[in-house]
Amino acid sequence: MSRALARRAALLAVPAVLWSAAAWYLWQSRVPGSLQLPHLDSRAYFSGRDLHAAASFGRLQEWDWLLATVAQLVALTLYAWRGGRFARESAAGPLGTGMLLGMLGFALVWVAQLPASVLELWWQRRHQLSQTGYFTAVFGDWLALGGQFVFLCLTLAIVMGLARRLGERWWLPAAPAFVGLALLFAFVTPWLLGTHPLRRPDLLAVASRLERAEHVQHTPIVVQDVHDVTSLPNAEATGIGPSRRVVLWDTLVDGRFPTRELAVVIAHELGHLARNHIWKDVGWYALFAFPGAYAVARATRRRGGMGEPEAVPLSLLVVVVLGLLALPLQNAISRHMEAEADWMALRTTRDPAGATALFRRFVPTTLDEPSPSTWEYLLLENHPTIMQRIAMAQAWRRYATSTAQSP
Amino acid sequence: MCDELAVHEHPVQLVVEDDLRRNRLTVFFRALLGIPHYIWIFLWSIGVFVVAIVNWLATLVTGTPPASLHRFMCAYVRYTLHVYAYVYLVANPYPGFVGEEGEYPVDVRLPAPGRQSRWTTLLRLPLVLPALILAITLGGTGGPVAVLRGRRRSGGGGGVLAAVCAFLGWFASLVRGRMPKGLRDAGAYGLGYSAQVLAYVLLVTDRYPSSDPTALLATVERPPQHPVHLVGDPEDLRRSRVTVFFRLPLAIPHLVWLVLWTVLAVLAGIVNWCATLFAGTPPAALHRFLSRYVRYTLHVYAFLYLAANPFPGFVGEPGRYPLDLRLPEPSRQNRWVTGFRIVLAIPAWFVNAVLGWALLIAAVLTWFVALVTGSAPWGLRNLSAYALRYGAQVNAYLYLLTDAYPHASPLEGAPPPEPLPAEAA
Repeated sequence: MSRALARRAALLAVPAVLWSAAAWYLWQSRVPGSLQLPHLDSRAYFSGRDLHAAASFGRLQEWDWLLATVAQLVALTLYAWRGGRFARESAAGPLGTGMLLGMLGFALVWVAQLPASVLELWWQRRHQLSQTGYFTAVFGDWLALGGQFVFLCLTLAIVMGLARRLGERWWLPAAPAFVGLALLFAFVTPWLLGTHPLRRPDLLAVASRLERAEHVQHTPIVVQDVHDVTSLPNAEATGIGPSRRVVLWDTLVDGRFPTRELAVVIAHELGHLARNHIWKDVGWYALFAFPGAYAVARATRRRGGMGEPEAVPLSLLVVVVLGLLALPLQNAISRHMEAEADWMALRTTRDPAGATALFRRFVPTTLDEPSPSTWEYLLLENHPTIMQRIAMAQAWRRYATSTAQSP
Repeated sequence: MCDELAVHEHPVQLVVEDDLRRNRLTVFFRALLGIPHYIWIFLWSIGVFVVAIVNWLATLVTGTPPASLHRFMCAYVRYTLHVYAYVYLVANPYPGFVGEEGEYPVDVRLPAPGRQSRWTTLLRLPLVLPALILAITLGGTGGPVAVLRGRRRSGGGGGVLAAVCAFLGWFASLVRGRMPKGLRDAGAYGLGYSAQVLAYVLLVTDRYPSSDPTALLATVERPPQHPVHLVGDPEDLRRSRVTVFFRLPLAIPHLVWLVLWTVLAVLAGIVNWCATLFAGTPPAALHRFLSRYVRYTLHVYAFLYLAANPFPGFVGEPGRYPLDLRLPEPSRQNRWVTGFRIVLAIPAWFVNAVLGWALLIAAVLTWFVALVTGSAPWGLRNLSAYALRYGAQVNAYLYLLTDAYPHASPLEGAPPPEPLPAEAA
């Protein structure tokens, strides 16, 4: 082995080791490694009608996702090939022209995915999961492109500005810059949601008890009004430091879910905060940002690098392809954290029956498939499946019993 | 140039022979003096409504409006123009009651009856709607248009631009005995456009109304060139359909940037005001910064409102955009005018606000046309350029880039004549 090759191998090995160490650290979980989830039969928990409805709903959703993804890839491939021509529609300098090309790429993807979006909306409306009108959805999406464009322009300004100064090494400072932006975004997101405080005394009392148990006292529990748009129930933990809070959709606290089940939801979200999952999210983002930015820098080299506007269409394609390739891994990471939040909720509420009842209620209300197909599980599921969650509740019951009996 | 004019020439031609002088007494009572005309227009409009239906049916059948009905409609179009010109202070003498041709200083030349497309005749009402919306913003609309809109009343079809110019001109005329040329021209432009719309509705012509100020005010003398004026490529009518379709979202990053820049510009403007009040001349660095800001604002709005095609840069660089702005170098400014700049700018703000609406409507109409044809209509592009130019002049005046008051005339100012070789020597 020549010395140069050895040096290159060492250069690759050092970041690889650092990456692996960081990934190992971020992967740490409170879920016992020895925990074995029991195999459960979904037919024992759900009626045949519910299972059929969920399977039927999910099937079209899967095809719709496939259609949207293919449309996106085709649009971006064509755009990477011919999109550079749109540079003539710009009177701005290289940065401004790059921004225009980036925005047009997003716009064309929006057009290409429009049939899939409309199909999805039709399907959700047909199943009473969405109340959004077609015009509102399409026009709102068209306007929402503006918000995406602002972030895209900021991203391209950073990338192209650095690339014009540093050449191919732009990715080295760009990746930390993106991580900084991700942190900033995680910090400000709670204030962008438009929420109001939770006003149910029973839930506030439960939340207060759970916060003490999970050592995340004084976490605001707020409600986001979404009932005009959807009937789907949901909740999320958001924010970091002083901005952290638990957001419950008003469709979750509209009376369909009893307090006992809502306690599991709140405990789950507080579990995210207690285990610093937002920080970990940013950490994982950082781990993907460095190799991702490097890959983009390499891929666009033949178009003159990211300092040239003509490289922007190709870079969009590369980012989307990398995102698709990383999707199974990202979903696995997400499922891992969600499972830990479930575990935290079980530990705090000590109510596996309540958790099981909640997860069982999800199937008729959200039409989620309890046991989706493998490819759907790998590519689309960022939460454990319903059956896995019920299995974890069962496993926790056994685990709690065994640890209580052990000397 | 003559060929270009010929191409754009509209069969309904506005003729302005007004000398800007106004009688203070008639100006003071102008709205009241118009009362007999309002009554007469109302009665005439009822007749026109009935005759218009007959004329429409006859034109549909024969392809040409009957000569007698055509004459009746022409007289009505001319008469409403005279009345509105009088009420809106675009002209001085009291008009006659029969719409005589060539008797009034603000008149309209109308075509002889000719063949008209049966399709456009059949669909005349839906076709006229876009032009009608613009006419409501710009000039006056006659009685039958109000009737067609389901409101059986006449007279009150005042366009906002013409009305605002009349309101401001009323004060100016009372004080000076003369109508400011900019306001007169703007009012005449609005009324001229409305006359074209009325002529189109009443089947006097089948040529669609054109909002091109240069063509409408072809008989009006151009004002002297304002120190803040447009430069660039006026023939740049090509529009990319993709960027047209996504124009609003594409402009949002620019709008965000503009808001941030505006915060700084306002602060810089305050410092500039103090410095100019003290020194009599704006500091060069602030002048440069604010010039860039005003030019950038024009570029962004030109892009947003489809008055220009390419995506603009973010720094307001001169000479890079097809619709660009020439701004003066820093020079001495009258301290009184500087001290009261904001108060003095208020009338210009009114005009600018109305032109902002016109710009918006022109942009919406251009959006549809450009999506289909891939180019902007000449008239709408020039209307947009007028509104943008005036907005830039207001901005430049406010930020003390010049102490020349914004000129409301839709006509681009004429450059000063080149000195003769002998004089130069």
